[in-house]
Amino acid sequence: MRLNRKVIPWIVIGVAAAAAIAAWKPTALIYGVQRAGLYAAIAIPMALVLGIVHIVNLSHGETLMVAAYATYTIAQALGLDPWLALVPVMAVMAILGYLIFQLTIKHTLKAPELNQLILTFGIAITLTQLVTLLYTTQTRKMHLSYVSASLSIGETSFGVYDFVFVAMAIAMAVALNVFLTKTRFGKAAVAVGQNPRGAAIVGIDVQKVYVVIFTLSVILTGIMGSLFMTRQSIFPSVGGPYTMKCFSLVAMAGIGNISGILYGSLVLGLAEAVINGIKGMSGWSNIVFFLLIIGVIGVRAFKERKI
Amino acid sequence: MKKITSGIFPISLVLLAASLPLFLGAYPQAVARSVFTYMALALTWDILLRSGQVSFGIVGFYGLGSYAAILLAVRAGMPPAVAIIAASLFAALIAFALGFLVLRLRAMYFSITTLALAEIFKVIIHNWNSFTGGPEGIVLPQVVFNGDSRALYWLSLGMVLVVVAVSVFFEKSRLHYSLTAIRNNEIAARTSGVDIFANLLITFTVTSLLQGLIGGVQVFSYGFAMPDSAFDGNYTLLPLAIALLGGIHSTWGPIIGAILLGVASEYLKLKIPYGHLLVYGLIIILVILFIPNGIYGLVRKGRSKRNG
Repeated sequence: MRLNRKVIPWIVIGVAAAAAIAAWKPTALIYGVQRAGLYAAIAIPMALVLGIVHIVNLSHGETLMVAAYATYTIAQALGLDPWLALVPVMAVMAILGYLIFQLTIKHTLKAPELNQLILTFGIAITLTQLVTLLYTTQTRKMHLSYVSASLSIGETSFGVYDFVFVAMAIAMAVALNVFLTKTRFGKAAVAVGQNPRGAAIVGIDVQKVYVVIFTLSVILTGIMGSLFMTRQSIFPSVGGPYTMKCFSLVAMAGIGNISGILYGSLVLGLAEAVINGIKGMSGWSNIVFFLLIIGVIGVRAFKERKI
Repeated sequence: MKKITSGIFPISLVLLAASLPLFLGAYPQAVARSVFTYMALALTWDILLRSGQVSFGIVGFYGLGSYAAILLAVRAGMPPAVAIIAASLFAALIAFALGFLVLRLRAMYFSITTLALAEIFKVIIHNWNSFTGGPEGIVLPQVVFNGDSRALYWLSLGMVLVVVAVSVFFEKSRLHYSLTAIRNNEIAARTSGVDIFANLLITFTVTSLLQGLIGGVQVFSYGFAMPDSAFDGNYTLLPLAIALLGGIHSTWGPIIGAILLGVASEYLKLKIPYGHLLVYGLIIILVILFIPNGIYGLVRKGRSKRNG
C-alpha cells in the first residue's frame, strides 16, 4: 500500500464522492460499501489464481455457487448453522479444487491461452448443470434471524449483517498480503507468478505451487459461498454474473494487485448503489459493471498498446 | 477427377437435406431447424476463430438481429424479407463501429469484452420498455408462411447454406492466408504485409452480420422475441461445444458437430428435462483435454497419414 503523490487527488475525489452520496442518501453509501465488500471478497481468490497460476478461471462464480449449495445441504442435513457448516464445506471445496486442478487445468497449462479459457468455461457449465440435475432450478434460501439485524442512526435505519463481507474482504487482503510476503511458500509463489521458468531454475517446485494456490483459492471462494448463502437466495445460475464482475475487478486492478481490488470494488459498489437508489433506474445497475469493464480494458489497451 | 468427386458429395448432401421434409413429419423438421440454427452460429464463431480471436458473445449479435428484425416489422411495418436483411445490416453496422475498440484487444480481454457487450445489449433491450416491450418481449402478429413447417424448414436450410457459402469463401480466398497468418504469429504476419486490423474488422463485421441474419430468421420462424430467450446464454454455449467437437478451423467440423450434438441433445432433453446441458459442459472439457482438433481433425489426420 504505497502512498505516492499520484494517488492523493484520487483519494480526495473518492472522499468527496462518498460525502456527496452520504448527503444525498446515506443508505446508498452504506449499501454501496457492503456490496463492495462482497465483490472484493469474491474477486480476491480469482486475482490470486490469475496472478500466480496465470489462468482466467471462468468457473469462479460457479465454484461460489457449488459452495453455497454444499453449505445449504450440510446445514439442512445436520441441522447446523451455516457458519458451522463452513468447516466441512471448506474440506469439500479443498477436495473439489484439488481434483479440478489435477484432472483438467494441469493438462492445459502449456496449451494456448484459448484452450484454458474454453476449458474453464466448460467446467463452469458442467458445475451449473450438475447442480441443476441434483437440485433443479428452484431457488433456495435459509431463513436466519440474525441476517436482518439492523441499526438506526438518526432517521436512517439500515441492515448491519452485510458488513461481514467488508470484514471478510479486508481480512482476506491482509492475510494474503502477509502470506505472500512473509512466509517461505508465499514468497516462492510470488516468484512463480513473476517468472515460472526462473522459479523452476532456482529450485522451486512450480507444479506444487500451482496446485496449492489453486486449491487455496477454491477454499477461499468456498468460504465466501457459505457466507453468500446466509444472505441471498441461491439457484444454479446465481454464480455466473460473479465470474464477470470479479474478472472486471481483477482487470481494473491490474494483475497481481490485491489492494487495488478493494478500491475498484468500492467504485463499482457505490456506482451500483447510487443507480439503485434512483427511482425507476434499478434495472440499469447491471450495466455499470459491463461499461466499466469495457472502459477499463479499452483504456489499458490504448495505454499499453499491447495487452 | 478428384475435383468432380469432391463436389458430388456436398451437392448430394444438400439435395438430401432439401428433400427431407417430403418424408419427415413436423417434429423432426423442427429438430432439424434447431440443428441448422446452431450449425450456422457455430460456423460464424469458427470463421472468427480462424483469426485466433475467441468470441464469447455470439448471442449478442444474434439477439440484436432478432430484436432489430421484429421491431422493424412491428414498429415500421416492414415485410419479413426486408426486415431480416435490414436487421443483419444493423448488426453488421454495430459490429463495425464496436470493432474499432474491441479488435484492438487480444486473448482473454477480447473474449471477456465480447461477453460483456452481449450483456449490455441485453440490459438495454430489457430496460427500454417503451420501445422493445421490456422483459415481456414483443410478439409478431403473424409467423411467416403462416407457420407452414416445410416452408420454415427450407428457409432455415437456405440460411445455413448462405453461412456455409461464406465459410467456404473464407477458406478458399486470400482472407484464409491472412487470417491463418494472424492466428499463428501476428508480428510475422505484420512484417509480411498483412493489414491485421482491416482483416479482423472485415471478419468481425461479416460474422456479426450472419449472426444478425440467423437471429432475424429465428425470430420470424417463432414469432416472438423476449430478452431471456433472444439473449439466452445457450446461443453462445452450444455453438462453441458444437464447433469444438466437430473440429475447429474448418467448415466441415461445425457441420458434423451440429448434427451429432443436435440430435443427441434432442434425445437427452426428453430423457432428462433438467440438466441435459451437462453433456455439453463435459464434451467441452473432454475435447479440450483429449482431442483439441475435434472429430474432423481426427479424420484429416487419418487421411494425411494414409496419403503418406
